[in-house]
Amino acid sequence: MLVVGLALVLPTTTGCTTHFPADPEGTLTSVDGGTLRVGASINPPFVEEKGEELTGDEVELVEDYALTRDADIEWTEGGEEELMSRLGHGELDLVIGGLTAKTPWAGKAGLTRPYTETTDRFGTRRKHVLAVPLGENAFLLDLDTFLHHRDGSQ
Amino acid sequence: MPEDVEGALRRAIKLEWVTIGVLVVTVSIIFLVLGNSQAMKTAWIEDMLSFIPPIAFLVGVQIAGRPASVERPFGHHRAIGIAHLVAATALAGMAVYLIIDSTMKLIAAEHPTIGGITLFGQTFWLGWLMIAAMVITSVPPVILGRMKLHLAPPLHNKVLFADADMNKADWMTGVAVIVGVLGIGFGLWWADAAAAIVVSFSILRDGWVNVRAAVKGLLDARATTYDDTEPHPLLHQVQDYLDGLDWAEDTGARVRDEGQVFQVEAFVVPRPTSSIDIDALEKVRTGLKNLDWKVNDVVVAPVRTIPDVARKRDRTTT
Repeated sequence: MLVVGLALVLPTTTGCTTHFPADPEGTLTSVDGGTLRVGASINPPFVEEKGEELTGDEVELVEDYALTRDADIEWTEGGEEELMSRLGHGELDLVIGGLTAKTPWAGKAGLTRPYTETTDRFGTRRKHVLAVPLGENAFLLDLDTFLHHRDGSQ
Repeated sequence: MPEDVEGALRRAIKLEWVTIGVLVVTVSIIFLVLGNSQAMKTAWIEDMLSFIPPIAFLVGVQIAGRPASVERPFGHHRAIGIAHLVAATALAGMAVYLIIDSTMKLIAAEHPTIGGITLFGQTFWLGWLMIAAMVITSVPPVILGRMKLHLAPPLHNKVLFADADMNKADWMTGVAVIVGVLGIGFGLWWADAAAAIVVSFSILRDGWVNVRAAVKGLLDARATTYDDTEPHPLLHQVQDYLDGLDWAEDTGARVRDEGQVFQVEAFVVPRPTSSIDIDALEKVRTGLKNLDWKVNDVVVAPVRTIPDVARKRDRTTT
């Protein structure tokens, strides 16, 4: 009975949400036409530093995504642990730096679908992903859809 | 075992094999859409636990059918009781796991993350696939559980009853996952864990009832009906039979539930107390055995006074 009750109450309590699935913290809404706060951990060839500028595959990837959402990018450089902690506390929307689907941060952050696969020098297949805040499902789905289309166009 | 009961047992065995087959498919489907979702992982672990009752039933029935021997003079009927305890513990364990797991998620305020999945060139929300998987996998347990509930009374098999409860738990958690995933879709991160907690308390109740009944059975408690709601009607039939003995001054009996069958200890105070007629005692033994197929073994003891625990009980209910 309670379950049925919950099912009936759910849509009404949330009111009108623009996204389904929705972001509990509204990440996609704040990114859309706003600012995308990205944490970048140096890890060539995914994220590199050339002088003052950040370059690399994943930097380009993020820049492409920001275009689709008409968002300005606010870069933060740092070590993975520092960036993941900031991501968990809502100070960042996205963390990049050659993360793979098997990252030990898997439980602390949401991971996108793999955008590419590489083989490392030990012969292990590595599926490369980006990290988003836990539970920001609208943002994650939007990124996943973007990665899928980008994957298909290349 | 009479013909119709044997038929019911055969159907129950077939049903449990079907259950195992369905579970294999269910576990595979859920594994494929698991993703990195904690909610689905819980549903998956719980489906793995659902394997325990049908396996316990099949092993229990198999072992219980073995004949008694010199080393095992009471036969192997208790295998059913052990299977019941195993099945009941699985049910209770699943509930406890769900409650702890979901509560931890709520306390940690862990936001369930469900992203997109690409199938047939389309990227869509994995949540839809999870809901579809849960709808598909929740239908068979409803049907199987209902069929088992029909077979449990004639067989007096409590493992089957516990397994029917497990099926109920399966479809209820399926519904909870659907509600939870929809909740997540609406941005309510706690919906998944909350729905799981609501459902797991109902599962815990069923598990607790079954564990208690199984332990009581193994402790030789008074025999009850398959669902443990009331004393088994055979108790009255045994006492009625004993009451009908014209040569007895006083009678009493205690009945053990060995799983599917009963063992009766009948006490008789002959009239006059000094005379014992072996033939009459023998007749009581066969008379009680013929009451029902479930009366598997009878011991008749002539005594001077009936032990208190075997006294006639309040029979106003008959």
